[in-house]
Amino acid sequence: MRPYIDKKNKMTKQIYVGLFIIFFIFSLLQVGILDERIFQAFSRVENLLKGMVPPTISEPIDVAGAAVESLQVAVMGTLWGVVFSIVLAMFAAKNVSPHISISYAVKAFAAFVRAVPALIWALLFIVAIGLGPTPGILALAVNSIGMLMKVYAEAIEEIDTGIIDALKATGASQFQVVMQGIIPSIMSIFISWSIFRFDINIRYAAVLGVVGAGGIGWELVRASRVMAYDEVLGITLVIFGMILLAELVTRFLKDRADMATLKAME
Amino acid sequence: MSSLAKQIDTPVEENKVLDMYKDLQRRKKVILKNRLVLWAIIAALVTWAWTGTNFSIAIIYTGTANMAAFIFTDLLPPDFSAFGRYLQPALQTVYMSLVGMVISVIFSIFFGFMAAKNTSFHPVIAFTSRAIIAFLRAIPALIWGITLVVAFGLGPLAGTLALGLSGIGILGKAFADVLEEIDQGQVDAVKATGASWFQTMGQGVWPQFKTGFVAWSLYKMDLNIREAAVLGLIGAGGIGYTLQGNINLFQYQQASVGILMIFALILIVEYTTAKIRERLL
Repeated sequence: MRPYIDKKNKMTKQIYVGLFIIFFIFSLLQVGILDERIFQAFSRVENLLKGMVPPTISEPIDVAGAAVESLQVAVMGTLWGVVFSIVLAMFAAKNVSPHISISYAVKAFAAFVRAVPALIWALLFIVAIGLGPTPGILALAVNSIGMLMKVYAEAIEEIDTGIIDALKATGASQFQVVMQGIIPSIMSIFISWSIFRFDINIRYAAVLGVVGAGGIGWELVRASRVMAYDEVLGITLVIFGMILLAELVTRFLKDRADMATLKAME
Repeated sequence: MSSLAKQIDTPVEENKVLDMYKDLQRRKKVILKNRLVLWAIIAALVTWAWTGTNFSIAIIYTGTANMAAFIFTDLLPPDFSAFGRYLQPALQTVYMSLVGMVISVIFSIFFGFMAAKNTSFHPVIAFTSRAIIAFLRAIPALIWGITLVVAFGLGPLAGTLALGLSGIGILGKAFADVLEEIDQGQVDAVKATGASWFQTMGQGVWPQFKTGFVAWSLYKMDLNIREAAVLGLIGAGGIGYTLQGNINLFQYQQASVGILMIFALILIVEYTTAKIRERLL
């Protein structure tokens, strides 16, 4: 019996691998990667690179302003995302939610909000409230809520019930339980995920301009539309620097917080 | 902390307790001071961003109200007659994600092995590979898309290559980190039997690398489907292009079909990758 089962399993495996390869080749053909364009790729890329060097920025003040705006949109989007996520997480976590059905409803809402990409949210918010940085902020906030609320709620669900029971035994109100018991327990998870989300939001903020929600993405699209390759590279480098700067700042802040804790513990 | 417990266990004189109390106060002060500095920095950042973007708190209410009004009057009910028009782009999104994933996996294996200190040929190669990976990762896929659309013209080819390139940034780093954490003892044991480089990789490294490899590659597939859905907004193929067309023409009830299909696509792909992960691991 054994060799027969082994053979069957092996065969199933081979069938799966075969199907995958067929699907992959079909996808390759559909995507058009074996297009004549790929054979011209070398000369095209050569052309592109020649046009790109040296990188220039024709309107440095506009580009700098757009980069600053992107950073600000990321900060504001993260701020509101975090604020609303904390409040909603209190309703989503099973152990502190007023009722189990509220918990399920809030979690379902988060799942939907998370599955729709930030850029699509930006498109919708632009239609609903107009152009400018505000739809970008709201789009980032909404998308952040989808992710942060889930992780905050999971963190709250995993905290030691003894802490909450002990607080309740002293006669603490629901608000006091949240402030004294829940928030200190989830603080480290809360901080690390919020910082992680900020890093994601920076990247999104850089591309929000593509759909007209303000920031440096618009400058990039503008340069690419007029085929100004050198400017495309210049703005890409600005975005690269912007993301790097933001990550350095968050890392510095995080290290500082960790250092202080270590210093106090020694 | 443990030293504190020890001191409590043994009887202590009163001034010693006072000293401990003072020490506790000092420690509390250090933390408090640092917290204040951090909160001040965050508050300054928020004020800067708030004034810079002219954000008014009222927009949270009006924005939500407008959004709700927009969803219930314009987006709903979805006009499912547009389903046929979305089907082909939706499938294209899947093809793009898959091909993009395979491209990034192939190149990431190479760059990952070169970037990991223990499998690389030379520290200089490791450093260069890390730098390339970091650069590819720092630039979002959509920006790669914009550049590649300029180079290869509109269509799914540019989007697929953009997914592949940005994927090398994510998977290359992940593979290198997984490789650096493997148990060197097993590799040395295989080497000691006189195995060639390929045999060492196959018998010593691969079994330890497999779990991380499968998990990260499938994670990249999940990411790709999200990215591919929006790459169409810049004309790089996929469902986003049709969606933007509908929104630009104010055909919101058809656009909502597109949004629902993106939602469904993401769920289907995540379900499938979860099943495959379960099977392989």
